[in-house]
Amino acid sequence: MLSYLRYSAIAPGLIPSGIIVAIVIALVFASKLTLLHNFFGFNWNPTLSWGIGAFVAGSFLTAIPALAFSMLIGLGLAVASTTYLPRLVASLLDPFVDLLAGIPSVIYGIWGFIVIGPYFGMTINPWLADHLRLIPWFGPPSGNTLGEGLPLAIFLLTLMALPITTLLIRDSLRAVPRDLWESGLALGATRWEVLRRVALPYARRGVMSAAFLGFGRAFGETVAVAMVFGSTAVIPSNFYGTGYTLAAAMFELVDSSYGNFQFLAVLTEMALVLLAISLAVNIIGRRLVIRLSTTEVAGV
Amino acid sequence: MNAAAAPMGGPVMSVDHLTVTAKTKKVLLNDISLDFPPNSLTAVVGPSGCGKTTLVRSLNRMTELTPGLRVKGAVYYLGQNIYDRRVNPVLVRRRIGMVFQRPTVFPSSIYANASFGLRLVHEEEEKVDVAVRHALTRAGLWDEVKDDLDRPALSLSGGQQQRLCIARALAVEPRVLLMDEPSSALDPAATQRLEATMEHLKESMVLVLVTHNVGQAARVSDRVAFLHTGRLIEVGNTDEILERPKDPLTQQFITGRFL
Amino acid sequence: MRSVDATLPPVPGIASADVLIDRSARTRFRLGFDRAMGWLTPLLFLVAIVPILDMVYYVSLKAVPHLTWTIITGTNPYEANVYLGVPLYTTFYVIGLATAIAVALGLFGGIATAELLPEQWANAARTGANLLVGTPSIIIGYLGYLGFVLYFGWGPVFIAGVVTLSFFMTPYVFRTADLAFSSIPRHIREAALGSGAGPSQYIVRVGLPIAFPQVLTGVFLAMAIGIGETAPLVVTMQPGVLVPQNLFSPAKTLTMVIWENFQSPLAANQVLAFEAAFLLLVIVLALNVVVRVISARYQKRLEGLYQ
Repeated sequence: MLSYLRYSAIAPGLIPSGIIVAIVIALVFASKLTLLHNFFGFNWNPTLSWGIGAFVAGSFLTAIPALAFSMLIGLGLAVASTTYLPRLVASLLDPFVDLLAGIPSVIYGIWGFIVIGPYFGMTINPWLADHLRLIPWFGPPSGNTLGEGLPLAIFLLTLMALPITTLLIRDSLRAVPRDLWESGLALGATRWEVLRRVALPYARRGVMSAAFLGFGRAFGETVAVAMVFGSTAVIPSNFYGTGYTLAAAMFELVDSSYGNFQFLAVLTEMALVLLAISLAVNIIGRRLVIRLSTTEVAGV
Repeated sequence: MNAAAAPMGGPVMSVDHLTVTAKTKKVLLNDISLDFPPNSLTAVVGPSGCGKTTLVRSLNRMTELTPGLRVKGAVYYLGQNIYDRRVNPVLVRRRIGMVFQRPTVFPSSIYANASFGLRLVHEEEEKVDVAVRHALTRAGLWDEVKDDLDRPALSLSGGQQQRLCIARALAVEPRVLLMDEPSSALDPAATQRLEATMEHLKESMVLVLVTHNVGQAARVSDRVAFLHTGRLIEVGNTDEILERPKDPLTQQFITGRFL
Repeated sequence: MRSVDATLPPVPGIASADVLIDRSARTRFRLGFDRAMGWLTPLLFLVAIVPILDMVYYVSLKAVPHLTWTIITGTNPYEANVYLGVPLYTTFYVIGLATAIAVALGLFGGIATAELLPEQWANAARTGANLLVGTPSIIIGYLGYLGFVLYFGWGPVFIAGVVTLSFFMTPYVFRTADLAFSSIPRHIREAALGSGAGPSQYIVRVGLPIAFPQVLTGVFLAMAIGIGETAPLVVTMQPGVLVPQNLFSPAKTLTMVIWENFQSPLAANQVLAFEAAFLLLVIVLALNVVVRVISARYQKRLEGLYQ
């Protein structure tokens, strides 16, 4: 009787796994896995050539800088929280970072587009273009005055990935045994030196996990990017140009694929690419930190 | 520098009316004064909760890691009050090293561990090599690791790791080494080796050993300080304290009543 | 020089052997750097705090002067670009139904994984849940579109959006339920099972009451996340001007309103988008606060259990 109950519990237990399997099946079927001519090329011309290269490039161009920034800032925040700030102050400030994760993407998007965009378009981008004119691709023209383009997209994605990176690095720093910290200090090291030479190396896996999962977050973000990246099916002409990401393209183009099964097949193949990268990054990131805590459930 | 209050030519370290209170107003150490003469091993003993760990941690300002602890009085290292506002704890801890209960080797190579303190001050390579070898020898570990210093420190046995911790502390040439129950995580054989190392070290520096094991105190120490609920009850030469204790509390402890 | 035992050689690194007050450049740099970091890193919190405050400020600024109670609750279908009553109620319907489904799936699954499944199946289940959490919402939206809208032939309707959203929310409830049951102190579990309770009795009479606050937190969390979702809904539901009349009606939620109107050249539509954003923000922030409050009270309770 007991084992019957146990085995019949397999079904509900595997519901989430089942959903993922269903996704894969649906995508494979819809795309009929027809890898069209020039699939990874850069020519996107619906009905003619289906090169998704621009979308893939856009996804990476937005996600990687966003990851870099959010790792840097997240590292600083985690360090402040665990080492430099008194426990009380840290516990008051940490929730603000977690709150960033709770804000809906559309709101990031509308704030980004209407409030921050013009500031990028009219002030920040021109300033950058002017000062970086010696570096190819970073010089003028500085994009449209609405601010749509890479810098704005990277800005939003950084904010959206920040909670994850901060949380994971913070948790892994907290897991460093107290004895180890104290040994470092007892040898005459400053707090920074202990962090750099003892604590962070010890927490290496957690930091890497933060990188993978933060990247996954930035790479898979759909709506906010769609609202500020400009939705042009090209690789941005320079740093300030507009473009498209895989997720945003999938989101915005589904409508126009209605009735056109070839178009749909391409979109679902894009979905498979996005899913594959997402799953890979997720699996690797989680492997590095094989521990589930309540805080993780909340944000990640 | 408090030159006026400095006892010249005297003890390497001396504690002067030290009182430590916790955030909850509980008094952890009550008006403690004692000296640590050169080339000696002083054992600090007492029942649990008597403040021996707090005392030892206040000798290298590790008390500052616990929020809310207030320290009154002074601790003099070679005549300088380590609690002087101009003194930074980072400097204090090089001169006064510490070894903990559990071996706390860093997850890197043996060499990296031993040279840690020296690399903090960007010491030159050749000097680091010499210092590392010297420290490992003094800690009694050199023979066992000399063939491969790049091995991970965590591949050593518990006793070896603890000696590596000692070597690590010794590498920056402190004059005082604080040891907080260093053999409590070790088996008897490793403990014996550790005690042999301590005997060897006390010939050239000051050791302060916290231990709950009176037998260990008897074996290795020259002086014994007995603490009880934050107060220093008695301090003196090992033989005197252990055989002819003056205070009844001390006597009770020695004869095992408290443990 | 102190007359201390001089058998130790001069020590590397500081100005003179035993002086504790050291003014050498190197030491001052080390100490100064540490102190600087002590100021710099906390300043980074501004990177998080300023955007949040700015968002709340601007959304409120652009929405509140125009907002009236009529606008919030009005449902006139002929003035769909003025009144938010329809999207608001629709949002509640969508979330309510989606949460119900997500709880059904997630709670069963999570408890089953924590209590009943043999080890390997449990690990597979947890991996599945973790992967699902990390999957981009647009992909789950595609599942809904391909599966429900096209393959099942439901069309872009209310129920398609609801079920798709519920799939997105399920793993959050799942993981919380799993975690809650897994962290029930062993002695309680063994006491219950030891006195003759069967697994299902244990779950219902002992486990659930204990795990309830944590599960509730997970549910509210899932709701907070679900309410803010746009992509899966846009892809599976056709926007409508009425509150959904039945499962196969068109439906438009607050998030969809924002998505439709944020780029509009018409000032009135932009205002509508901000008003919707304002309402959404209020609801989401309120839910987040609720989650935190329950979490905090739950902590106190759990501490009692571990005695």
